[in-house]
Amino acid sequence: MAIDTRQAIDTRQAMDTRHKVLLFGAAAAVRLLLFTVFPALPDLLAGRVDVSTPVTSFKRLQEGVFLYTHNVSPYDGGVYHQAPLLLPLFSLLPNPAHAPLATNVFYTAVDLASAHALAQVADSGFASVTPWFASPRRHLRWSSAAIAAGFLFNPFTIATCLARSTSALTNLAILTAMAKASQGASFTFILAAAFAAYMAMHPILLFPPLTILLYHARTRNSKTTPSVSPFVISHTLGFCTAIAALLTGSAFLTRSWDFLSATYGVRLLLPDLTPNVGLWWYFFIEMFDSFRDFFLAVFWLHAASYMPGLTIRLHKQPLFVACTLTGVFAIFTPYPSIADAALYLSLVPMFRHLFPLMRYTFLASASILYTSFLGPAFYHLWIYAGSGNANFFYAITLVWSLGLSVILGDSLYAALRDELDVERPELRDKEVRRI
Amino acid sequence: MLSSLFFLLVNAWLVGAAASADYHERLLLRPLPQDTLLASFNFRSNESAAAFEQQNFGYFPRSFGQILQHAHAKELHLRFSVGRWDAENWGQRPWSGGREGGTGVELWAWLEADTEDEAFARWLKLTNALSGLFCASINFIDATKTIRPVMAFAPEGQHSNASRLHLLHGTLPHEVVCTENLTPFLKLLPCKGKAGISSLLSGHKLFDASFQTMAIDVRPTCEEGSATCALEMEQTVDMVLDLARAKRPKDDPIPRPLPIDQLECDTSKPYNAHDSCYPLNKGTQPAWTLEEVFGRPLKGACPLTGQTGDEADNLCINIPPERTVEVKTSGEVSESRLVADTLRCYKLPTGADVDLVLPEQKMATDLVRPKPGVFAARSINGHGQERGSIQAVISNPSTTEAVEIVYLESLPWFMKPYLHTLRARLDTTAESPIKETYYSPAVDRKRGTHLELRLRIPPASTLTLTYDFDKAILRYTEYPPDANRGFDVAPAVIRVLSPQARDHRGIYVRTTSLLLPLPTPDFSMPYNVIILTSTVMALGFGNIFNLLVRRFVAVDEVPITAAGGIKGRVLDKAYRLKALVLGG
Repeated sequence: MAIDTRQAIDTRQAMDTRHKVLLFGAAAAVRLLLFTVFPALPDLLAGRVDVSTPVTSFKRLQEGVFLYTHNVSPYDGGVYHQAPLLLPLFSLLPNPAHAPLATNVFYTAVDLASAHALAQVADSGFASVTPWFASPRRHLRWSSAAIAAGFLFNPFTIATCLARSTSALTNLAILTAMAKASQGASFTFILAAAFAAYMAMHPILLFPPLTILLYHARTRNSKTTPSVSPFVISHTLGFCTAIAALLTGSAFLTRSWDFLSATYGVRLLLPDLTPNVGLWWYFFIEMFDSFRDFFLAVFWLHAASYMPGLTIRLHKQPLFVACTLTGVFAIFTPYPSIADAALYLSLVPMFRHLFPLMRYTFLASASILYTSFLGPAFYHLWIYAGSGNANFFYAITLVWSLGLSVILGDSLYAALRDELDVERPELRDKEVRRI
Repeated sequence: MLSSLFFLLVNAWLVGAAASADYHERLLLRPLPQDTLLASFNFRSNESAAAFEQQNFGYFPRSFGQILQHAHAKELHLRFSVGRWDAENWGQRPWSGGREGGTGVELWAWLEADTEDEAFARWLKLTNALSGLFCASINFIDATKTIRPVMAFAPEGQHSNASRLHLLHGTLPHEVVCTENLTPFLKLLPCKGKAGISSLLSGHKLFDASFQTMAIDVRPTCEEGSATCALEMEQTVDMVLDLARAKRPKDDPIPRPLPIDQLECDTSKPYNAHDSCYPLNKGTQPAWTLEEVFGRPLKGACPLTGQTGDEADNLCINIPPERTVEVKTSGEVSESRLVADTLRCYKLPTGADVDLVLPEQKMATDLVRPKPGVFAARSINGHGQERGSIQAVISNPSTTEAVEIVYLESLPWFMKPYLHTLRARLDTTAESPIKETYYSPAVDRKRGTHLELRLRIPPASTLTLTYDFDKAILRYTEYPPDANRGFDVAPAVIRVLSPQARDHRGIYVRTTSLLLPLPTPDFSMPYNVIILTSTVMALGFGNIFNLLVRRFVAVDEVPITAAGGIKGRVLDKAYRLKALVLGG
């Protein structure tokens, strides 16, 4: 009997591995095929405002690398706002204008690595079961291969990969941090989380929930509970050390600290108002000059305020908190793109057990769908055809943000309802009220 | 070939005059093809450096001299320009382009300062003072419009302490040059437009010209081998007038068709009806007089000019020897013919009106206009308000000599060029023409782009320079009232390094300015945007906050005060009132 079970598990694992190899091969083939069959597509996508933002654009990265290799500081200018460590990395790759293959393979590999990390997170099962919480609907789940496929064949992910936006690297760092936290690997988790924060700044907010996730993973792996204070202090110190090391290395590399204001300063102060799918750009175009600083502070406080509340209320489900925070980033940060939305929408299927409790799935998915078609059309009307004005595109970004925040709120409701079913099983499937 | 040699001689003769007296002025007239006339006014005054330091200005205008002293400007060049020089038809530019400016206002100066910050502070002083003096918006030349060129400009004067000098350059391509700039310009002259050739300058004609540029140049000059230095101030006005347009009477400036009986038709062509007319190309030079073209009489010579030597000839006209010129005056005019009779110069009488009358004449020979050393054109490619590319086409017409040029671009910060897309292609060879690059990228709202390239163009070759740029979207308060007209981009300045210039002015070519359309927001609805965005954020935040702070209970457990409906609200009010009364 036991042997049979083991055999069954073995065959299932073998099947899974075969599935994964097939899946990753297909995803890589799709990407490389698109790169080679439509050679103009990457540059077209790299120029789209919904795919590339001023802080992730590949064209700006190329300019930065060009200036860096010609001994002009890329941070002494208004074009390059990305992390300094990308400069030596991309100066090693051959010039994508003449030999794009290396860059294409690199970005394909980044996507595959992200999908692998996502599959690891899904495999860990922390989405529905943690040492302090087990969802009554935990049997409802999709296989990790299906979740990875949802990431790899998401059109938003493919567009990000083809546009060679550096948010693909940020997403990889975030997913790796989640995967390592769910496996209980402290060192690699700290490294990945620090790299994500170094690349895009706002992922620093993911550190507290992911540290809790790491704590849960440690508890589950060792069957003993590590004491909290030394655990938190050592990991926070490690995280700060890693970030300090990355920043010092960057300063050493560029021989000045100018990059701080050119990268994080730009994200904080929003001098570049290029349109994107977020809420900030049009608001700060139209904002009165005397209130600009006040509203910048308010918007940043607002974006950061979700982390403490969610972490405290849902400390038993840290993975859900981290996932919801990526959704917050996709809506409320200054330079969001569809890459951020792709990350969030790929993490949501891990919480398959919450789907029966969600109420507005049709509304949210319909609004996301229709904005992804109307957004480019309205942008064209404004910028190229001249038959619409900025309000057209602005209205679509509003609906897009609204759609994402409906998913966010709805999944949060479902998660809380799910917790209630554990606390008070007698209320299951009954109508409840919030007071 | 012979004629172009004459031309060079004309230039050399005009330039090489020694600084024997303190003030000189000269007007050179030269008919150009398509019935246009180039009028080059040149006014020059000298003052010894020692006297200048002691506030003893002589012919040097006091208001201007004090500005220079206040800002520690050792050499200064200021240009006001409108229109385009049509190099294909008109040939080489006046003064080889050395006294020309880009469309709008262009200013560059060498300032004495110990540090770059001090130099910039003095530059701001200078621009503000000049702005007041010339009634122009020169004070809008701020850090975003100022660059520090490294190769494109060389000092014209001899400077003793060159290491402490800082060159700053600023342009205002949007500035509309008009009469209010001419009046202070004329006030700087010793005769102030009351007498001498400056009495011809009127705003009506100057700003109606197809091309006009006003220049002020101040430079220190030192005699070879002696320690005495002087400060030279040169004011030039170059204008190209359309003769037919300029001759329209002041009281009836609207062009009207001639009566049918006055039309001269080409009768050699076949006609079907009597109401049509092929205009007759008579192949003649049109008739004109000075007073007709400039709209006012030439009021003799300025009495302050030197009365002896070559410099005493104030009015010169560069025409073929066979052309008839009649001088009408009540005073005494002496004529001298120079450079194989192609240049006629007149010494004007003081206090008597002078007029030149040229009748309509059929010419057998014509002057050959020398070709410019370099042709340049620049344009914006692409459509839409998101991005575009710049294309500059520079050609070397010489079949024997290569030219070496410096190409200078000063771009506004909201135009973001990508240097990695810069391509320079020659149509004759695959060799890269770029010999040297200087690039200082723009910083949003702080600094504009500054690009300088040293290029070498082989004989009979055309260079095409392209690069991509992005158009930034601005805050709504940063747009001008006519936001959809677009923003002006300053012309590119091209300095020819070799073949070398024959005088201190150098050889320059400037392209036309460009119009850059930027994406515009809706200017009418800041409140709506603030309200709508805040609503979406409030919906997101409110929903999540509500979920986080509230507690779930079953429907039947809801306390009556928290229940909705009229009953609940009434009961709630009653409870509160009771609490208030009891508490009070």
